[in-house]
Amino acid sequence: MSAGAAIALPAPAPRERGRGVAPIVALLAPIALINAVGFLAPVLNLARMSFYEVEPTGAMREVYTLATWAKVFSDGYYAGLIFDSITVSLGITLLTLLCSYPIALYLHRSSGTWRTILLVLVISPLLTSAVVRTYGWIAILAENGLVNNALATLGLAKLKLMFNATGVTIGLTEILMPYMILALLAGFGRLDPRVEEAAATLGAPPFTIFRRIILPLTLPGIALGCLLCFVLAVSSFITPKLLGGGRVFLLATEIYDEAIVTLNWPLAATLSILVLIIFGGALMLYSRALRAIL
Amino acid sequence: MKTSVSFAIAVVLAGLSAPAAFAQQQTVTVMGYSGLFQERYAKAVVEPFMKANPGIKVEYFPMPNSAQMLGNLRAQKAAPQADVVIMDVSVSKAATDEKLLTKIDEKNVPNVADLYPNARIPDVDGVGVTFDNLVMLYNGEAVKDAPKSWMDLAKPEFKGKVAIPGMPDIQGLSLVLIMDKARGGTDYLKSVEKGIAALGEIAPNVQTWEPKPEVYPVIISGQAVIGAGWNARAQVNADASGGKLKAVLPEEGSVFQINTISLVANGPGKDAGAKFANYALSAEAQKAFTESMFYAPTNAKAQISDAAIARTAVKSMNKVIPVDWIALAKVRDPIMEQWRRKVIPLSR
Amino acid sequence: MSEQGFLSIRGLTKRYAAFTAVEDLDLDVPRGELVAFLGPSGCGKTTSLRMIAGLVPATSGRIVVDGKDLTEVPTHRRDMGLVFQSYALFPHMSIARNVAFGLEMRKVPKDEIARRVKEAIALVHLTGKEEHRPTQLSGGQQQRVALARALVVRPSILLLDEPLSNLDAKLRDEMRNEIREIQQRLGITAIFVTHDQGEALTMCDKVVVMNQGRLEQLGTPVDLYERPRTAFVASFVGRTNRLASVAKDGSVEIAGQRIAAPAGLSGPVEVMIRPHRIAFAPAGEGVPGTIAKAVFAGDILQYDVEVAGQILSVELATRGGETVLSPGTAVGLSWRPQDVFVYGAAA
Repeated sequence: MSAGAAIALPAPAPRERGRGVAPIVALLAPIALINAVGFLAPVLNLARMSFYEVEPTGAMREVYTLATWAKVFSDGYYAGLIFDSITVSLGITLLTLLCSYPIALYLHRSSGTWRTILLVLVISPLLTSAVVRTYGWIAILAENGLVNNALATLGLAKLKLMFNATGVTIGLTEILMPYMILALLAGFGRLDPRVEEAAATLGAPPFTIFRRIILPLTLPGIALGCLLCFVLAVSSFITPKLLGGGRVFLLATEIYDEAIVTLNWPLAATLSILVLIIFGGALMLYSRALRAIL
Repeated sequence: MKTSVSFAIAVVLAGLSAPAAFAQQQTVTVMGYSGLFQERYAKAVVEPFMKANPGIKVEYFPMPNSAQMLGNLRAQKAAPQADVVIMDVSVSKAATDEKLLTKIDEKNVPNVADLYPNARIPDVDGVGVTFDNLVMLYNGEAVKDAPKSWMDLAKPEFKGKVAIPGMPDIQGLSLVLIMDKARGGTDYLKSVEKGIAALGEIAPNVQTWEPKPEVYPVIISGQAVIGAGWNARAQVNADASGGKLKAVLPEEGSVFQINTISLVANGPGKDAGAKFANYALSAEAQKAFTESMFYAPTNAKAQISDAAIARTAVKSMNKVIPVDWIALAKVRDPIMEQWRRKVIPLSR
Repeated sequence: MSEQGFLSIRGLTKRYAAFTAVEDLDLDVPRGELVAFLGPSGCGKTTSLRMIAGLVPATSGRIVVDGKDLTEVPTHRRDMGLVFQSYALFPHMSIARNVAFGLEMRKVPKDEIARRVKEAIALVHLTGKEEHRPTQLSGGQQQRVALARALVVRPSILLLDEPLSNLDAKLRDEMRNEIREIQQRLGITAIFVTHDQGEALTMCDKVVVMNQGRLEQLGTPVDLYERPRTAFVASFVGRTNRLASVAKDGSVEIAGQRIAAPAGLSGPVEVMIRPHRIAFAPAGEGVPGTIAKAVFAGDILQYDVEVAGQILSVELATRGGETVLSPGTAVGLSWRPQDVFVYGAAA
């Protein structure tokens, strides 16, 4: 999020540029340090580990080998994992966007106490862990859950909503919605009601205003929200574990299994680096999209 | 960098523990499973040990699984914080190979002499401290006729009602080995094709391969009604559920899961760690823990009550298929691949 | 007012829960006139404009343009051009695309759009800036784009909502002349909302003075200045002295001088005289007063004169050679009866 937000900020005004480098360095130092210790060092460590030799039992030797990387690139299973992770995450991101956009738009237009109440409602799910919320979804989606019981009462056939990709998609979409809504709101800065009114006075009917004015002006928020949710979707493993029923194989769940169950840390590290590369690609697409929008 | 951080932590901890050292008090840090295991182990083994050895204080350091214990051992290699670790045998093998452990034998831990032969694992520095075995679980209210065979899981009435912790979890792997043997497989290191085929027959009935948080509450709640799990936890959960959860040892048999107790190389507690391990392997401690949590004992001299022994696999040793987990690790990847290709797709 | 104008408003009212923004507004604007809505902030002038544009639904009343009742017609079919105080340009479109927007909505053929956009941009002197983004232009330039965007569709009515208030003084004068010049050249009917009486008086054919949601007076700038109908108009349009007095038997007394009071007025009144309509009388004549303060401001001399316990501001145009009277000097003041306005004092 911080990376996305930083990119979304407008370029500093020329006057600010002239103030000397020292204060900027001083202000950036803490975050640079935190990132170096908390992010860069572990990532480098992971990268190194991905080249370690590993025994079938999981014992690692500090001997460097390309074996794990070769395995990942030659075994079609991992290509499939990467493809599935990206497509499932993209699908979830799109669904999250569709569900969140109207809410964010309404929130952007509301004001006063009502807005505060709505914002609290949007943020409150974040105060509960994803695990608890996922168990909530189990209660709703299970064979004898809320949805299926309602369907049965109406005399309709029960649906298989859980322990498959459908369940993972539903659960993750809901879990990611607060992030999407907040990111959209952060990116709705250029959306001015006067601009919409101007379009109306010039003869634009409501849907045209949405298509020609609101949508283009909210693209920065859409890009930021999609980046954020895509990254979170690719890296989430608890919800796919709980709602996937062992049938949904994604990069994050595979990393978990390799690290915790199979004990193949070099493989887990290699897959983690791949996830990081996917994030890098997403970030590049994002900044390119942003440049095209603005 | 990692080393210097752990070193700094070690220095700080050493400073903190200094007053205890002056009081001639020794501390043993035992790393083991969290939750139910920790709760029962503290009462049955840790507390009696401390009562018998007033000069030694035992700190139980809980971890959710063996992999994380190994992770801790790896991170603390330069300055270990734990003395004793209780973990799965295959993880213990990895730790042995990485020289994280000190070899346990009759010399430093005399009670090793009383252990069953299969509790001493070649090329592993630790020794078996508990035996557990795979059992079939069912919800006594939903399933009226007690199932007898693992293949009952494939019965049509259990469609969408089966919960099995699937591979890479070793419970799924164990089921493959059991069924492979039952269907005439001879060497699981060469082929488990028959076992995979049997699981393929069960697969269409499976509701989830990832029962969470564990398989036991899933069956107790009725979300699923039948499945597979470990005996010890099943027994404790059966009691806690008022008999709702039932466990049986099916006719095809079962396999042992072995937890080892190991001494951490260069542990801070020195010989006190070996003293604790010796107690943990004693007939007295083995009896207490088996009667508390129904893990089968590894000490042949442990005199366990009939009621408790009946709830372990001890009396059905003929049904327990021997598995060399260390050798099996080498063929786990190809078995996993068959699982993905021939079992999972049938359960969609 | 009985004759129906090009824009005809009858009984226009906007009520919110606890507050009436506009009450019973009647107005007729002839074709081609520029009419100002003048008043302090919160007087209802902008709300009236927004009701005319259809951006705010009217609680009651009718809005008719060229014989067509638009009261229930949504904004996008009202065919009006609106220029906002904040310009409200489309930030994601070039200047040319901004100006073309209204024409695209009207499905005007492409080549005609290109031609008309070029003309409109030339009209506001921005030729060469077609491909710029709004943020690359100055405030004044942005306001010209907004004007071009509103005008290019040849709207039936041009609505301007405080279009000059975000501009600095020099630009404001320039834009004021430009808007008036363009409006007259195109002969377009326009409404200009402002809180600045100078803008209203100098630019507009007629001025509607509003206060607290009500129309105070509608008239030409001369009407408003020379014949303000209410105390509010007299004090809001131009500067004025306000003296408290009492009306009795058809006349009002100020400083010993009696003035005829408007028929039917009695009780406390406010008397108003504009500072520059007061002259110094020959010695010993006129209303006696004492100079309290004197300021020489170049083209005028400003005096505060104490008259019977109240201070009157007096302004004299300088012609050269005047002596600036020092405080304490006794003077006589005089004024023409028609320059004195008398209103019933507000309760």
